[in-house]
Amino acid sequence: MDSSNDDALDIIITNVVATFRTRCHLNLRTIALEGTNVIYKPEVGKVLMKLRKPKITASIWSSGKIICTGATSEDEAKLGARRLARVLQKLGFKVRFSAFKVVNVLAVCSMPFAIRLIDFTKKNRPIASYEPELHPAVTYRIKHLKATIQVFSTGSITVTGTMGSFDFREAIRAMPLR
Amino acid sequence: MAVSAPITSLIIITCVCVCVHFPSRWTGQTIIYLHHSHPVLCIIVTFPPQIMLTNTGPVAKLYLSIIDDVIENMRELFSDEGLEDRVLDDLRHLWESKMMQSKAMEDFRKNSINSSNFVLQLPASYSQTDQEVTASVVIPASQSIYSFPRLKNNSDTLATFSLPAGLAYPVQIPAGVTLQTASGQLYKVNVPVVVTQAAAGQQPVSRPTQKVTEWREPAAPRPAAVAPNTTHPQEVEPSSAPAPSVTQPPQPNTNYVPPTEESSLPQQPQDPAADTLLLQGADSPEPEFRLEESEPSPQPEPMNLSMTASPCGQSLDFQTGTEETLTQTAPLKSRDVDDILKQVIEEEREKAERARSLTSAKTDSPSEAVLGLDLDYSYSELSDIVQLDGPAGNSDLEEEEGAPLDENDFLGIINAEAIKALQEGDGSSDGNSISSSSDGEGADELANVEDEDPLNSGDDVIEQDIPDLFDTDNVIVCQYDKIHRSKNRWKFHLKDGVMCYGGRDYVFSKAVGEAEW
Repeated sequence: MDSSNDDALDIIITNVVATFRTRCHLNLRTIALEGTNVIYKPEVGKVLMKLRKPKITASIWSSGKIICTGATSEDEAKLGARRLARVLQKLGFKVRFSAFKVVNVLAVCSMPFAIRLIDFTKKNRPIASYEPELHPAVTYRIKHLKATIQVFSTGSITVTGTMGSFDFREAIRAMPLR
Repeated sequence: MAVSAPITSLIIITCVCVCVHFPSRWTGQTIIYLHHSHPVLCIIVTFPPQIMLTNTGPVAKLYLSIIDDVIENMRELFSDEGLEDRVLDDLRHLWESKMMQSKAMEDFRKNSINSSNFVLQLPASYSQTDQEVTASVVIPASQSIYSFPRLKNNSDTLATFSLPAGLAYPVQIPAGVTLQTASGQLYKVNVPVVVTQAAAGQQPVSRPTQKVTEWREPAAPRPAAVAPNTTHPQEVEPSSAPAPSVTQPPQPNTNYVPPTEESSLPQQPQDPAADTLLLQGADSPEPEFRLEESEPSPQPEPMNLSMTASPCGQSLDFQTGTEETLTQTAPLKSRDVDDILKQVIEEEREKAERARSLTSAKTDSPSEAVLGLDLDYSYSELSDIVQLDGPAGNSDLEEEEGAPLDENDFLGIINAEAIKALQEGDGSSDGNSISSSSDGEGADELANVEDEDPLNSGDDVIEQDIPDLFDTDNVIVCQYDKIHRSKNRWKFHLKDGVMCYGGRDYVFSKAVGEAEW
C-alpha cells in the first residue's frame, strides 16, 4: 500500500549539512574583521559566514573545522564548501580542503492524505515512537538506513538522515502507511 | 538674503526678506523646524534684537571642541619637548582647516546652504515700510537647534510649526511665523511672504556697502528674490558694529553646484533693497563665496570685505562656518576657494581671539548669541564654495575614529569593507602568512598536496561574485546596544557613533536601523 504512493511523491531536499576541515588553525578575529558577510560569536567561539550564491551558512571554528548548512543538494554543499575554503584562502590562511563529508540531509514530502498517528504508531510499535506532549509527529527510525522519518498528522513527512537523497524514497517506501 | 540650495537638491527657493532696521543686533533665536528634505524654506524677517540665528552645526562644534581639548592638553607636552607654541598652533590650524574642508565644512555648509537656499519673495502687495519688528512669534527653546535636524528627516524638532514634506512652492507664509531651516537657521517672518523656487540662474548679490535700508517691493513675478540671508550683515558691520543684523535682501541663493547657475546676480529687484536682514550669520559668507566660485573676478572683493568686516563673534563655530565649502560638485575654483578659506581661517582666528579677549569665558550659546551673530553670516556664503574633498574623507576618519578601531573591543562596525580599509596597516597576523604571499602562490602550493584538497586556485572554486558594493565611503563607527537578525532581516540598535554619509559627518547618541541581506 505504500509503494504505490511513492511514485507520485515529490521529495524535496531542503537542507544539506556538510563538514570539512581546513587542516590549519584559523584566526577567527581576522576572519571576523576582514571577511564579508560574517557574524562573529566570540562567546561560542565561532564565526558564521553566509554565502549568497549557494545559499549557505558556514560555522567556522578556530580549529579549522567548518560546518556548512543550508545547501539544497549535496553537490551544492560541496560547491559551497569549496567556495568557502577559497574565501578563507584569500584571507590568507593556508587552507586545505579535506575531509568533506555530508553529515545530514533533510527532505520533506507531503502525502495527499491525512494520517492517523495513533493507529500508525500502534501498528509500528517498536519502530515508531509518538509522544504528543513532546512533539506532534511520529518519529520513525529506520536503523539500517540511518534515517529518521517524522510523520505528521497532516500527511507531511520529513526525512532526515545521513544517506544519499535517492535513498529517501527507500525510506519512505519502507514506512508502512495507513 | 541668499539661500543656497541644499546639497541634495538644486532647487533654489527664492524668497524675499524684509529688512528691518535695528539699532542693535538681534540676538534672539527661534525657529520652526522645517522639514529638512525640502530645500530649505526660509523666511526671514528679522529683527527684534533678541532674535539670533545660529546655525553652527552640532557636529562641527563637537569636532572643534575635540580639537580644542587635544590641543590644550598637548600644550604642556609640547613645551616640555621643547617645541614652540607656534608649532602647536600650526598643527591646530592645519587640523582645523583640513577638517573643516572635508567634513565639518559640509556640515556647516549644509547648514548654511539649507538656510540660504531659499529666497523669500514678498507678495506684490507688500509695501515697504519701516515696520517695527515685534517678536510676536513664540520663540521655542533653542535646544532644538542642536538636535541634528539633518538626521531627523521628518521630526518636528521644534514644537511650533513644521512645513509638510510635500511642500509645493510657492508657499505663502503668514507673518509672525518663525521658521527654521533644516540647517538650523532661524528666520522669523514678520511680513507675509511667499516662498517660491528660484530660477536656476539666480545668484546671490553681494552688496558690500549695503546698509540697512528699506526694501523695495520686489517684482512679483520675478522668482528670484533677494536672498534673505546674507552676507551683507558683515558688510554692514564695518559701518556700524552693532548694526542691525540684517542680511542683504538681494542675496539669492544659488546652487553651489553649477557655477553657471550663479549668473544673474544683479538682477534682483531687491538689490537695492535697503534693509538687510540678518537671519543668520552663516548665510552671508555663502553667497560671497559662491560668487567667488562662479565669478571670481567681480566678487572677491565683497567677500573679502565681508570676511574682514565680520566681527569676531564666536570663535570656533564661526571659523568652521566660514570654512564651508561645497563638497558636492565640481571643484570649480578650488584653488581660489582654498586661498579664501585659508584667509578666512586666519581672519576668523584673529576674530576669535579678539572675541575671546572681549568675552571672559568662551561659552557656546551665550557667546554665540552675543558675539557670533555677525559671524554667522559667513556660513551661507561659504556654502557655495565648491570644493572637492581630498583624501580628507578617510584621513579624518582615521584620525578621529582610528583610535576606537584599534581597541580590542568588538565595536559595532557596520561596514566591513571600510574597516578592512582602515585596518590595512594592521595586516593579518597570527601565524598566517598573508601579507607576503599572494593568494595565487598559496593556492598553488596547496594545490596538489593531497587528494583530499584539490583546491585549485580558482579553477574549481569560482570566485565569490560579490560585487564590491561595499566600496562606499559611507561608514558608521559606533558602539552597539543590540544587533538582531532573523533569517536575513537585520535590526541594529546603535549608540554613540559617528556616521559619515555622503561626505558629511553625523554624530549620534542613538541610532536604530534595519536592513535586509
